[in-house]
Amino acid sequence: MVQQMKPGQLVQLQYNGKLLEGLIMPRSLYEDTMHITLKLKNGYNIGLDIDKVRLVKVIEHEATAQTEDEKEYNEIGNGPRVLILGTGGTIASKVDYRTGAVKPAFSAKEIVDMVPEIGNIASISVKTIMNELSENIKPENWSIMSNEVYKAFNSGYKGVVIAHGTDTMHYSASAVSFAVENPPGPVIFVGSQRSSDRPSSDSAINLQGAVTFAAKSNASGVFVAMHAGLDDNLVAVHRGTRVRKNHTSRRDAFESVNDIPFAYVDIENSIIKHENEAIPKGKIKLMPNFLAKALIFKFHPGISESITNAVFKGDLLSVIIEGTGLGHVSREIFPYIRSAIDNGKFVGMTSQCIWGSVGMAVYETGRDLLAMGVVPLGDMLSETALVKSMWALGNGLDLPSVMPLNLRGEIASRRPVEK
Amino acid sequence: MKMGFEIHIQLNTKQKLFCCCNPHEVDTKTINFGRKLRVSSSEMGEIDPAAEFEIGKGKDITYVSGDRTSCLVEADEEPPHAPNGEAIKSAIKISNLFSASIVDEIHFMRKIVVDGSNTSGFQRTAIVGLDGKFVNGGNYVGINSICLEEDAGRLVEKTETGPVYNLDRLGIPLLEITTEPVEGDAMLGEKIAAGIGRTLKLTGLFARGLGTIRQDVNVSVGNYGIVEVKGVQKLEQVRKVLEFEEKRQSWLVELSKILHNRGIGKSDFNTKIVNLTDIFLASNSQIIRRLMSGQNALALKAPGFSGLFAKEPVPDSRLGLDLADLCKLFGFKGIVHSDEISKYGIEGQILNEVYKRLDISEKDGFILIFGSGEKAYRCLEMAKLRLEASLYGPPSETRMATEKGTTRFLRPRPGASRMYPETDIMTILVSGEMKASYRIEMKSWEETVNDIAGKYNIPHQVAEQLLDSDYLEWFTEAVMAFKSIPSTVIASVILQTFEELRKDGLQANKSALFDILDAVNKGNISKEAIHDVLRESLSQSISVESVIKRRGLISISKDEMSKIVASILKDSVSENIQREKIYGVIMGRVMKQVRGKIDGKLVDQEVKRQIEEKFGTN
Ligand SMILES: [Zn+2]
Repeated sequence: MVQQMKPGQLVQLQYNGKLLEGLIMPRSLYEDTMHITLKLKNGYNIGLDIDKVRLVKVIEHEATAQTEDEKEYNEIGNGPRVLILGTGGTIASKVDYRTGAVKPAFSAKEIVDMVPEIGNIASISVKTIMNELSENIKPENWSIMSNEVYKAFNSGYKGVVIAHGTDTMHYSASAVSFAVENPPGPVIFVGSQRSSDRPSSDSAINLQGAVTFAAKSNASGVFVAMHAGLDDNLVAVHRGTRVRKNHTSRRDAFESVNDIPFAYVDIENSIIKHENEAIPKGKIKLMPNFLAKALIFKFHPGISESITNAVFKGDLLSVIIEGTGLGHVSREIFPYIRSAIDNGKFVGMTSQCIWGSVGMAVYETGRDLLAMGVVPLGDMLSETALVKSMWALGNGLDLPSVMPLNLRGEIASRRPVEK
Repeated sequence: MKMGFEIHIQLNTKQKLFCCCNPHEVDTKTINFGRKLRVSSSEMGEIDPAAEFEIGKGKDITYVSGDRTSCLVEADEEPPHAPNGEAIKSAIKISNLFSASIVDEIHFMRKIVVDGSNTSGFQRTAIVGLDGKFVNGGNYVGINSICLEEDAGRLVEKTETGPVYNLDRLGIPLLEITTEPVEGDAMLGEKIAAGIGRTLKLTGLFARGLGTIRQDVNVSVGNYGIVEVKGVQKLEQVRKVLEFEEKRQSWLVELSKILHNRGIGKSDFNTKIVNLTDIFLASNSQIIRRLMSGQNALALKAPGFSGLFAKEPVPDSRLGLDLADLCKLFGFKGIVHSDEISKYGIEGQILNEVYKRLDISEKDGFILIFGSGEKAYRCLEMAKLRLEASLYGPPSETRMATEKGTTRFLRPRPGASRMYPETDIMTILVSGEMKASYRIEMKSWEETVNDIAGKYNIPHQVAEQLLDSDYLEWFTEAVMAFKSIPSTVIASVILQTFEELRKDGLQANKSALFDILDAVNKGNISKEAIHDVLRESLSQSISVESVIKRRGLISISKDEMSKIVASILKDSVSENIQREKIYGVIMGRVMKQVRGKIDGKLVDQEVKRQIEEKFGTN
């Protein structure tokens, strides 16, 4: 009897001598197979032990709803042309309260239906270029994003918005920053810390911020647009090479490190307040290759010798050290570093303090490391340094000369007092 | 009438349901932040046009977050933690208590709530028990479900831009116990509500105090719509609300017959909203000019409603009032209807023009609002639906209970709740062992009352009142702490003095009780002064001690009192007061000086003693 029950069926069951009516729901991967999930008429789900229920009758064999996925819908709304690239996750989604299923929106029409405000700011086109969770994004995906951005500007879009999962969004933003030089308009990564299926999601506000910036700002560069604080009004626009996810869950998790945000967007009034400017210095240029033979080596007291050995003697071509304080590691690591550099590998120094610049001339340890050929990377974020070295390797650039240069605002000689 | 109850009662767990905050701590500072909630109109369906309208407007919600009573979870800045195990245990115990079938897995759901009281935009709720029953004496009522859910934020105020909620209450675990509908009168309703309430109280699993138990009462007459009355906080309100609703709904049945007799049918409501701005601009009425200032005058014909808006067959129940409350949902101060148009000082020829434009005959009425934009039209459209619904008797709607036990219109009743799974919380397995062992052993109400009466040496009735009140713990603690004060005195402070003060809007607290009893215990004040000192302390928010000092109420010794009596008596000798009147006069004069400073009985004895000494026995 029990075997006949299938998700999607409306059934009448006997449980504990009582009759229950409801819809059999699919079980998630994390739930066992010993129970069934029943959605009662009042909307609640309950879990029942399969051995304790008896199927009285199937009231309705429900066919699973067919969803037609239209991958691209163009030009919805009014204003400058803005292309939204989907990389995975959902920018907007709709809940089917009958089944409890969350249906993501992929088409421009659906997205504009759900966040109608953006249709008044720009003429929206949407293209889904991949469907990856943020943690599964690889350097190959950065190349795809970069190519799509390049194509978009060549097809006359005013700006490009890239919807991205938040976990590795700052890596991707950094990667596209390096791969696309002199974009004629802004490229803005956007995500949400609260999923878009809930009424309190930050995605609609963030998306409005990103679209506003894409449509109205003339800045050339790659940025990240996310909540500036706990309030649902101000969106901060960070430079892609300067931004870091500094909190696991808050809406304002993304912060500019060693820099102030590039701009703010006041959503209610649709106003951009630029703190900075960025004018393209030439024609758009694409260098979309990445070679993933690089690693961040976070030094800590008691670090394992075998790991250290593997890092510096393996097949990596670039090691970005996250040193302590101003850029230090224990003397016990010195021989490994020296041999790596002697073997033609690149070793760059960043600080695990996150804020501030390395300063390797201050103490003896730093000076010794400099003498060995370790390249100080100033106030560059270790993640940005990592991505930059993968990019430099992928495009055949000379790391010791390119890495310390400021190419995309990733490194600065002065740091504002304001945090 | 048919009645059903939805009882929401806070569990007394130390921590909230989905985080480690303790809601009873005292905040040292607060921060505010602003949010908007979005629910697309397709998700709202046609359920609640007013709420939909508000959301469409992107209403701003302000949240106040205290540093001790809420954290990132309540701010919707951190995912919920695993559910509080103590709360789950309590929910299973209560399900067992009501002989409900307990589910094998608890699935938390998100129930969409759009008023902003939940930062997430939904309330997390799960069914734990199903199909139980409550038997009490001869009364039996089925229990539909027992749900474990999180309490909502506490509304602090409603401002022009939107509501303000404090997050201290958000996330406190609640049990929602829903009964099946029962047929009967208000007395039966009160018995059921009181019975369930008393049973829950005896379990010791729930919080005490105002606002910790809230009941929604569903009432319908005949086969008409079900009216949900929210916010019944006190048991005394239950019967009044039921009586009020029965009368109010019966009148609405009557009203539908009147409309029918006037020949009104569905087709009469194919009316359009008419813009009468041009007519009203010509009016010299001061009130109209003030209402008009820059606004449009929008009117709607109300076919057959002449005289029916202001009719008040039950005190505080008028159709006009309901319509005004409806308009408040849209932010309008109120509504003008034809039954009270004469109050506005509008010129006769203008009124005639209004009647003509609206095509109104003698039996018809109209409603009028001053406003502009889509909002005003939406509001009148809703009002039209309400008028049309009058053809069919009392409509399904949600109403709010008042302190008096009447009800006010709150919103049209939403249909089925909009729910979907809460994916941030793992399914909770309920083992057979948990079901078998999470039970409550407790004495009956009668036994418990007898125990209290015996243990504290108080009358049976007083013991029952204490048990019914929220203050039994205060009483037992106070009796232990102040052994020399009779327990009946302590009970009377709690049951009578507190109740009197509460009627005046003064909420007694435990520290005030203990301070005042301490003062009595030390002999600083007399019992007679308790009421006045407490009132002053609570109404002015100053300590009991300061009140006593300020009033010079520090009590006097028997010796000092005796001297006062002697001196007053001496001064009065020359007045030649009649012997039989001496006691009254002297007692009055002495009390004027010593009231509240010493027990009145002692004064009485001393005055009698000295009079007899001087003048002999009467
Ligand atoms: Zn908390």
